[in-house]
This record gives sequence, structure tokens and C-alpha cells, in this order.
Amino acid sequence: MTAQTFGDGVSQSELWHELMQFYINEAWLLDDRKFREWLDLFTDDVFYFMPRRLNVGRHDLDREVSGEGDLAIFEDDKTYMTMRVDRLDTGMAWSEDPPSRTRHIVGNLVIEPLLSGDLKSKTAFILYRSHHETDENIFAGSREDHLRKEDGRWRIYKRVIVLDANVILAKNLSVFF
Amino acid sequence: MAVSNKIYNVIDLKTGKLDPRIFSDPDIYQEELEKIFGRAWLMIGHESLVPRVNDFFHTYMGEDPVILTRDDKGKIHAFLNMCRHRGNRIVRADIGNAKNFMCSYHGWTYSNEGDLEYVPGEEEAYYGALDRKSFHLVEARVETYAGIVFATWDPCAPSLDEYLGDARWGLDVFFNRLDSGTEVVGPVKWIEPINWKTAVDNCSDNYHVPTTHLSAILVQGRHFGLPRTTHEQQFESPNKHLFINGHSLTLRFLERPDQARQTHGVTQENRAVFEEYYRATLSEAERRLGSLRAGKLQLGNHSLFPNGVLGFRLAHPRGPLATEFWHFVVLEKGMPDEIKRALRIGNGNFNGVAGLFEQDDMDNWRGVTRSSLTPLARKYSQDLSMGLGRAGSDPNFPGTVAERYTSENNQRNFYRRWEDFMNAEDWEDIPIEPGTADFEGTATLNG
Repeated sequence: MTAQTFGDGVSQSELWHELMQFYINEAWLLDDRKFREWLDLFTDDVFYFMPRRLNVGRHDLDREVSGEGDLAIFEDDKTYMTMRVDRLDTGMAWSEDPPSRTRHIVGNLVIEPLLSGDLKSKTAFILYRSHHETDENIFAGSREDHLRKEDGRWRIYKRVIVLDANVILAKNLSVFF
Repeated sequence: MAVSNKIYNVIDLKTGKLDPRIFSDPDIYQEELEKIFGRAWLMIGHESLVPRVNDFFHTYMGEDPVILTRDDKGKIHAFLNMCRHRGNRIVRADIGNAKNFMCSYHGWTYSNEGDLEYVPGEEEAYYGALDRKSFHLVEARVETYAGIVFATWDPCAPSLDEYLGDARWGLDVFFNRLDSGTEVVGPVKWIEPINWKTAVDNCSDNYHVPTTHLSAILVQGRHFGLPRTTHEQQFESPNKHLFINGHSLTLRFLERPDQARQTHGVTQENRAVFEEYYRATLSEAERRLGSLRAGKLQLGNHSLFPNGVLGFRLAHPRGPLATEFWHFVVLEKGMPDEIKRALRIGNGNFNGVAGLFEQDDMDNWRGVTRSSLTPLARKYSQDLSMGLGRAGSDPNFPGTVAERYTSENNQRNFYRRWEDFMNAEDWEDIPIEPGTADFEGTATLNG
């Protein structure tokens, strides 16, 4: 990191540490099942998107990730995200009762300050999920976020999650990324 | 075709008892691949997945990998993805555009019409003795229905029109409504630890919805203002459940011809846009389907024997204890972008691997599949007795019609069809119900 400053005189390296703490906090919220607090990390106009990852030849790599406007795995606004969390509190969300035991490991953070004062970030993740007696899944992928400051805190207004898997080797995706 | 002489009697139609061994027995599974997936017309793709000449889409028929191609004359083919030399796969990508397919092992190269066009060393190493023409890619019979591509390996299978029979009368309500036809987006693909039959019989099971999907029903009511589906409502429902040639169709009555046809994606805010669309397209739909099918019915849950469910979604067998599920969303080509978007998001977020509804299905299906693994548990039959003797003919609908919208006629019908295929020597022994439906309107099998 250089000594380049950003916004109100914060250096990029300070910003990097601030964001890394943001993501570490997010991971703990998810793994501690504090989903309402997790939801609050996103703006009300958030777009939470997990496109499909295709298995294509090298000359077709521009088709490797399905785009916006194509069928996705998650294509949520804040309402859908809230529905997913509300569902868990109905007491009848069978896929998460008993709940998954998860471990989100997030790293490889790179940040890119945008001219608007917003931030773009990219992280890599490994999500381990254990469920019922012996079910295990490992999901690996990247997350590209757009964040802006609201009330003095960073909030995510766009998240694009790209799994490395083509055919998903899991019975369902009832956990958050 | 080599078939065993075993006669299966797994569903007792007098009592509704089902032998659970069919969900996990590896020998039965191998026989299914041959006698069901080797003979039936299978949904394998949609014309919109290969829109340009030389496009290909990689798909499956049972466990066999299949390349769906559109050749340079626009004709659609389905080939076994297998080099005729040593059996290697010649295509490894999901999608692409190619005039030729070269095997990466020794370079044998095929056209997208299936001809073996080039063999390295044909003159020198083979001394000109190789009969290249005899090494055409193994090709399936292909037919389309309203843009959906079906294929079968069996040259003796009846036509697709006969195979669907009067089921098309109900399918047309959704798939064949407008001149401009349909397109699909997807698929989302994932592997479930279940037997393929469990998913198929469930996708036409109206009984499970108020229990399995209660959490999703509650939150969509809270956030989208949609009415709550209850058992009581389903037991009293006038809606129809039809069974034809092993296919199962639920048809729901519309309150008004312009009613939004699908639940997933419709909200209080966008409902008016849907209604305007259905009003604007009603006269075209009436010309194509007649007034009953165009304005009074919508297609609900359905399954096409053996493994197509709920619109265009596929349950590909992957061994007795695994199923690769493919989730597509079907859209009418002429729909305004706002409706396409709402249906894509609604059907994507409610169903599919992360679907608010569907994510609650898989552990049930797995429980059903795995209970047949132990000698003790498989001594106990599944009970599919609901509504025994309560189905028959209906003057207004084709096929066998259940008295109530909720019953296990669906499952009994599905496993009886399973027996038809498993006990048949060849297609001569597989019954096809005679068509009686009045296909009012101009719509045909091909649009």
C-alpha cells in the first residue's frame, strides 16, 4: 500500500485495515447466526447477486459467468434478503432447522476507491458448511462489493458472488455468502 | 435390447402400497437407465439454447452425455458425446459454437452433423481400410414441442405427439400460448443426494406444499401480499389434476382471463403489468387454444414422464442415491422486459438450489430415498393410498382426472407407468392412451 490518501485524509492502507475488519466482523456475524445484524451491513437499495458459473472453453471465457439479466442462483434485492432471514424465524424453515454450522474464511482483500467516494472491493472466500450429522460442503469463490458510507459506516450496495463450482455439489444453498 | 425377465410389481393399485427398494437398489437403477432412459422421450433442451447455426449445448439423457447441436443448415441434432474410436468425450464445455468436434485423444474429428470427417493417418496408418462412414456419432431421434427439444434412443418409440398424447392439451396452456413461442434461461445445476424418482413424484405432489413450504408461504405473504396456501384451501379446491401416459398435470382455474398466471415473481406492485399483458394477448391465445384453455385455465405443477418437472426442469439420474437437478425458467418471447425480469427473479429466487421454497424439499427427498437402504426399513411399504378409487373420466378434461386437487393418484400413476416401462420387452408392450381431447384452436405440436 502506498501513502496515497483517500477522502478525508485516510491513507489507503488504513482504509484496507478498516475494510478487512468490516469483512472479519461480517464473517463472525454469519457464523454466529446474527443474521439481522448481517442484513444491516447492506443498504436498502442493495443488489445481492450470485450468477451461474459455466464450464466453457478458453476461447469462450467471456461466457464463463452468466451476466445480469440471465438466470442466476441469487438475484436478491433487500426484500428478498429480508425474506430469507425472516424465513428462519418462522420456526418452519426446514432446510435450516437444525441449522447449518458454517465457517466463513475471507481474505485476499483488494480495494479500489472510486471517484464518487465509494469503494469497490474484492475478496476471496472459503465457506465450510456442516449440516445434520454428516453433510459437508465447501464453497469457494470471490465476492466483488461496492460500498458507500451511510451514517458514518460502510454499507454494501452491490455484491456479486462468483462460485468456482460449475455443478454445485450441495443439496441446497440455505446459507449466506 | 437385452432385458431381464423380472416382472416388477412395486405399486399395489388396490392399496397404494409402494415397495421402497426401487429408490436404492443398484440393479434396479441400472435397469431403469436401459428400460426408461433408453426408451422414453426425454426433455433435453430448448431451441433458444442453440439460437445460431453451429451452436451447441451440452446435456444428458439419463447418465449419457449428449451434445445438442444446430448444424449449419439450422437442423437440430442430439449425439452421444463419445468418440467412436476409444469412447472419449469429444466435447467438454457446457456451451459453445463449433462446426467440428475433435477428440483430444487421437484427433478423430466429427462435423456437427455427426459425420467422422477426419482421422489422422487414415491412409498411412490404417492403410485406407477404415470405413469412416460407419463411425458416425451415435445419434438420438429428436423432435420438438413448442421449442422444447425432446430426444429418444429408441427407434421403435412412438412419435413425440403420441408420447405426450392428450397431456399436450394441458401443456399448451403454458408452453404454446402465443405465436412467438417461448425461450428459456438457465440452467442452475446442482447434485442432490436423492433418487431421481423422489423429486419427480414430489413436483406434482400438491399435498406437501402447505407443510414443506410453510416458511416461504408465510414470508411471501408478508412481503408480497400473496394469499396463504393452506391444506383446507387445497382440499376444497375445484382445480384439476390430470394423468395421461404417465404424465401429470395440475390445471388451476383462473378467476379472470387476465389473471397473472404464475405466483413466483408476481407482487402487489407488478400485478397490474401482468394483467395488462394477459389482456393484450388474450385474443391471440384464444385463436390458438380456444376460450377454455386461453382464458379459464393455467398450468400448475406438472411432470412429464420420466424426468421433466415444473415447466422445464430436469432430474438427471446420477446413480440410485444421487440426482443432478437442472433448473431453467421458461419465458414467453414476446413478454415485456419487466415481466421477463419479474418471472426470472421470482422463479430463480423461489425455486432452484437456493430457492426460498425449494431449499426445504431436499432433506425430505433424501429421507425418503435413504429409508430404503436398510433391510428393516424397506420391509415397510410407502403408503400412497390417498384418494384410492377417487379418479375417473371428466367430461371437460382429458385423461384420468382426480376427484380432488390433493391426492396420491399422481404417485400411483407415476409408479404404474414406471412398471409399464420396466416390465416391457419393447415399445410394443408400453401402452399409449388414445387421444380424446378437443384441441380447439390453431396451436400444433410445433407451435
